[in-house]
Amino acid sequence: MMGRRGPRHRPDQRSLYTGFAAPAALALLFLGVPLVALAYEAATSGGIGDRLTSDETLAALRLSLITSTLTLVLALLLVTPLAYLLARADFPGKRLVDTLIDLPLVLPPTVAGVALLVAFGRRGVLGPSLEASGIELAFTTAAVIVAQLFVSAPFLARSLKAGFEAVDPAYEAVSATLGISALRTFWRISLPLARPALISGSVLCWSRALGELGATLIFAGNFEGRTQTMPLAIITAFQSSSGLAGAMALSVILVGVAFVLLLLMRLTTVDPGRQAGG
Amino acid sequence: MLNVDIALRVGSFDLEIAFAIDRELLVLFGPSGSGKSMTLGAIAGLRTPQRGRIEVGERVVFDSATGLNLPPQRRNVGYVVQQLALFPHLDVARNIAYGLGGLSRAARRQRVEELLALLKLDGLAGRMPAQLSGGQQQRVALARALARPTDVLLLDEPFSALDEALRADLRIELLRLRQELALPVVFVTHDLREAHLLGDRIAVLDQGRVLQFGPREEVFRTPTSRRVAELTGAQNIFRGRAFNGRLEAGGLPLRANLPDAIAGDIEIAIRAELCNLRRLDPDSELPENCYVARVTANLAFGSMHLLRLEPEGHGVPIEIEIAARPYEVLGVHSQDRWVVELPADDLYVFAASPEEAAPLR
Repeated sequence: MMGRRGPRHRPDQRSLYTGFAAPAALALLFLGVPLVALAYEAATSGGIGDRLTSDETLAALRLSLITSTLTLVLALLLVTPLAYLLARADFPGKRLVDTLIDLPLVLPPTVAGVALLVAFGRRGVLGPSLEASGIELAFTTAAVIVAQLFVSAPFLARSLKAGFEAVDPAYEAVSATLGISALRTFWRISLPLARPALISGSVLCWSRALGELGATLIFAGNFEGRTQTMPLAIITAFQSSSGLAGAMALSVILVGVAFVLLLLMRLTTVDPGRQAGG
Repeated sequence: MLNVDIALRVGSFDLEIAFAIDRELLVLFGPSGSGKSMTLGAIAGLRTPQRGRIEVGERVVFDSATGLNLPPQRRNVGYVVQQLALFPHLDVARNIAYGLGGLSRAARRQRVEELLALLKLDGLAGRMPAQLSGGQQQRVALARALARPTDVLLLDEPFSALDEALRADLRIELLRLRQELALPVVFVTHDLREAHLLGDRIAVLDQGRVLQFGPREEVFRTPTSRRVAELTGAQNIFRGRAFNGRLEAGGLPLRANLPDAIAGDIEIAIRAELCNLRRLDPDSELPENCYVARVTANLAFGSMHLLRLEPEGHGVPIEIEIAARPYEVLGVHSQDRWVVELPADDLYVFAASPEEAAPLR
């Protein structure tokens, strides 16, 4: 470890750092200006406070938080076993599965919405059988979650798979020789050691679900209180008579909520193995 | 006791190994890739042999004839893997107590205390693995492996990551521990000195086969093949011929204890530290197995010197290891010509391996 008074940088790197400082500052400026502008406008223009606490806004916010959180819970339940199998097990078609779960990452969300509609919509491939069993998905709150799950779960899968792969199988082998079953080993060793990946994957998944627009719009529609999440409410406000002012108010809320949650995540994520010493 | 007789194939690697030990320390010795770790994996139940039988303690844990294959959880095997694999998210006490779920809280705490004392880890219970020194990590891994009822202890190159001084300490510690535990221990190493210091018995492995298995001194003193002689560090290996109970190597007559069955093309091996160096006395005749030779290389290793000598007239170069003190007393550096003695009792003779038809060394 480097002493506190020792040189922080290698001398030959200093000129590189100086050279990189200008474009870095430009990038920061570019990313920061819209957010600062948003905050400034929201703080100075009148009437925004009313909008913040209006029933429609609160309904959209509530819906967004509930659906994105449920999406994350569902994703964790469904994707964790898949990620572990992809990281550890050998099975036929593994590469195909691997590619398949990457596909939603590169698809435009609108395409995802169309695909979902074709599969689960009333006139979709599985529509009749879903209807027969009394399940109607399209244009319901459940459809919002399905759309978010489809688009955001691959982020969790990717991250978790990498996390499990990084866990040395020797830990699991030793656990087995110590009398601990494979399932308990998963809970006590594999999952805790993949915790950083679990957390970063969850954040990605959740924030992707929170911001989901295209797939939701096509598959779930835009019904206030039922399927109108914050991004949909922003689009709706932007196209209504209130225009930019309404969109701005809603955006401020979304940015604020996302920022607080990300910050909390950063502050609480410490890799336990490297917590001290080392 | 531990009784292993298995055949295990992984990819193109083919392991066949059989040995039986009691409450003693067996060193599996061999170059990397010889199948040592794979053998431990099979005993622990982490790899399934294609056929064979493994007995741990009084129980059969694997038998391909009956289809019996106990999972690692039920084999009572303490296994310290090469990378130690201390659970990084658990402190020392929790690492040691990891497999003690069946005990009450108080019993668990007591067992952890016992192991901390046994392995001289007092005061470290609350430390995380990353905060421990290499030697301490080693001890924690051992404590964890011993925490549960253990019928056999498997150690895979446990000291390989440590510096020399620490290794010496821990080897002595292991010898002490072995007395206290009275368990069969299988210790994997490719370190010759470690094998010699620790092994009650030694199995020399190469390419998935046991070349020789026996008490330590027997394996080191009387290797049964050229490969074992090489692996156990016999620096001098000569080709020669045996006829009518007499030997000849590189044109020099030799006397050695000749196994009855051996005749024709042979190989003769002797360890460098077992060769003698004598002052040349021009007035007396050379005794048997002695040759006049000239020093052609002299490497100083601090505590000892490695000399290379060319016999005059006939013969092949001989390497001699001589400790620093006798080196000084004899005044080796001041003389070029010496008498080299290859003591007959320390020469091992074996039939020349057919594939080694090329000239020696």
